Amino acid sequence: MSLVRLEDVTKRFGQLTVLDQVSLKVEPGEIIAVIGRSGSGKSTLLRCINGLEPIQGGRILVEDDVVNDPKTDLRKLRQKVGIVFQSYNLFPHLSVERNITLAPTVVKKMPPAEARKLAEEALARVGLSDKIDAYPDQLSGGQQQRVAIARSLAMQPKVMLFDEITSALDPELIGEVLKVLEALARQGMTMLLVTHEMGFARNVGTRVVFMHHGKVWEQGPPAQVLGNPQTPEMKSFLGSVLH
Amino acid sequence: MIREVNSLDLLYLVAAGRWTLALTAMAFVGGGILGLAIMMLRIAPLKPVNWLAVGWIQAIQGTPLLAQIFVFFFGFAIFGYKVSPWVAAGVAFSIYASAFLAEIWRGCVEAVPRQQWEASAALGLSFPQQLRYVVLPQALRVAIPPTVGFLVQLIKNTSLASTIGFIELTREGQITTGATFRPLTVYGIVAVLYFLICFPLSQWSQHLERRLNVAR
Ligand SMILES: Nc1ncnc2c1ncn2[C@@H]1O[C@H](COP(=O)(O)OP(=O)(O)OP(=O)(O)O)[C@@H](O)[C@H]1O
Ligand SMILES: [Mg+2]
Repeated sequence: MSLVRLEDVTKRFGQLTVLDQVSLKVEPGEIIAVIGRSGSGKSTLLRCINGLEPIQGGRILVEDDVVNDPKTDLRKLRQKVGIVFQSYNLFPHLSVERNITLAPTVVKKMPPAEARKLAEEALARVGLSDKIDAYPDQLSGGQQQRVAIARSLAMQPKVMLFDEITSALDPELIGEVLKVLEALARQGMTMLLVTHEMGFARNVGTRVVFMHHGKVWEQGPPAQVLGNPQTPEMKSFLGSVLH
Repeated sequence: MIREVNSLDLLYLVAAGRWTLALTAMAFVGGGILGLAIMMLRIAPLKPVNWLAVGWIQAIQGTPLLAQIFVFFFGFAIFGYKVSPWVAAGVAFSIYASAFLAEIWRGCVEAVPRQQWEASAALGLSFPQQLRYVVLPQALRVAIPPTVGFLVQLIKNTSLASTIGFIELTREGQITTGATFRPLTVYGIVAVLYFLICFPLSQWSQHLERRLNVAR
């Protein structure tokens, strides 16, 4: 069974069709790099998967749960789908520890001591064990983004969505975040990530999905899609990002 | 008949100031609790509930406070309930404060970036949990100065309770004037007493505002 399945998903903002009958299956353990020009609907695709945006047509499933069914408990569903945003969105008034333990204690009713252990483990995975008592504004962008990843991991999601999580970072900080993603990939985490890091997509991704005008325009194994693009749109996109 | 304003008059005025403070406190606490609830209804992700809150806010902000006080004082009497000035003023001022505090606090909640709502929703928090753990703590920082500003308005507005015989600072001023026929002196003292209550609050509010701006 696919972990995530999109069937003819259509998403509109008013008159503007942002996702146009998108179909996509994500199998457990896959690492899918979503690429495409600005405005092609990449972020919207991710946001629809965890129900942050309602859709106007088609169906989205996460395991057996239909995301766009009004009867679905979105809060339950979101525990299975982690998302990390470009702008980190840590809670500025809470310590790193509390940022991570908030959802486990409040949503999953985990006892505080257990949640603290969980936070320690999650921070170890992103290499920030020494920052557990810091506040977000005391951290660099790269560190904040790693805390955001740890916060999401602490909910033990089945699939993680990453939306250009290195785009707001200074070049010298991108590497540390990508390293965390690579480690997650090695541990078998299923991931859907919007990225402009073509090297990362090629080396770590199991599949590349190229979005254009709200459609899945081309997809396949990274080496094939990036090395031998079939459509002129994909060719010109690759030309513009690689030079 | 005309006599000097003496120290006993002054004592009575100061004593009446306590009731100004008591009515303010009542309205602020009652209006604060009610206002928080209305603010939540106003922003809850449920349209009919939003309209209810908007209706409440508009009705109260769109009518004179004096009329509201009269409605509660004389209105209840028409239906056979005799309410004391205390109850009428307490209820009227609480309701009045609730509408304004709800709007002030809604503004503060909306100053919290939308991404904070999204990040907490994505972690599975419910609307009340988002408010309690993520949004309200951040809104609180910006809420203090305008809230104290409203409190100062509230203190001065309690003088309207004098119209239904509630004996607070202004009403005591009227009584003292009746006895002494020295309105200028008496209302001068009344004004000074209001000022002594409000000025420190305004200063405190400005101080908080400055500190918040520095912390940004
Ligand atoms: N809340 C919204 N209201 C209206 N239009 C929106 C909204 N969010 C996105 N859009 C529009 O939908 C289209 C797709 O946006 P989306 O953010 O998914 O693109 P993207 O591929 O992620 O682009 P980028 O690479 O710039 O992040 C854009 O034209 C955008 O203007
Ligand atoms: Mg985007």
